[in-house]
Amino acid sequence: MQIYNDYKERVDFLTVYVREAHPTDEWQMKSNVKDDVCYAQPKSLEQRVAIAKDFTTRFKYPLPFGIDDMNNLADAAYSAWPERLYIIDESGRIAYRGGIGPFNYKPAEVRDWLASRYGVVKHEPPPATAAAPASPAPAATADQKK
Amino acid sequence: MKRFLKWTACGLAVLVVAAFAGLCFLAGSPKDAYGMVRYALPHMHRGTLKVGSDAPDVRLVALDGESRFHIRERTGARPLVLVFGSFT
Repeated sequence: MQIYNDYKERVDFLTVYVREAHPTDEWQMKSNVKDDVCYAQPKSLEQRVAIAKDFTTRFKYPLPFGIDDMNNLADAAYSAWPERLYIIDESGRIAYRGGIGPFNYKPAEVRDWLASRYGVVKHEPPPATAAAPASPAPAATADQKK
Repeated sequence: MKRFLKWTACGLAVLVVAAFAGLCFLAGSPKDAYGMVRYALPHMHRGTLKVGSDAPDVRLVALDGESRFHIRERTGARPLVLVFGSFT
């Protein structure tokens, strides 16, 4: 979301919600249970919309949002499952095509593309308190997913 | 001939077990290895889109569950960052 906050005045963002990656009735992972993210693969659009709403509510998700219909056309067109990043330029062409997640899902590459066009957005480290050690604080924050 | 077939079958079995063991190591557990093969691999596709390709236009559903819009309605004025994913 840091990338969104940094560049939302320059570019548009759209989250496209696709079929679940780790539903309870398919390949559920331990992290899903730990994080209390336990949903079966939706069998209807209403179910998918409900899960998407849970997500946006839980994280107070600010990005504009669209949901893939149950025919999964967006997923098929963009080979998006389970997660992927793209940038479409003003002419409607793919300007950046990210790798397939999770291992090749790299928000830093999106940030680099945006930085190359609009400049790097730097974040000042928080001011040191009187009790803080003398060593310098870390520089700009790491990119966060989405 | 029978001996040849027997050794070939044994060799194949060893390969399959080794491959599954490697997958278990990669995925973290036998359950995750099965899940990866059964549910993930069939759905993961590199795709044919490349940088420079026309971005496909697809109709999406808004968060209200009712209204629809097209991805390409959001393009034109500025670059559009698309973030594909799900909650789980």
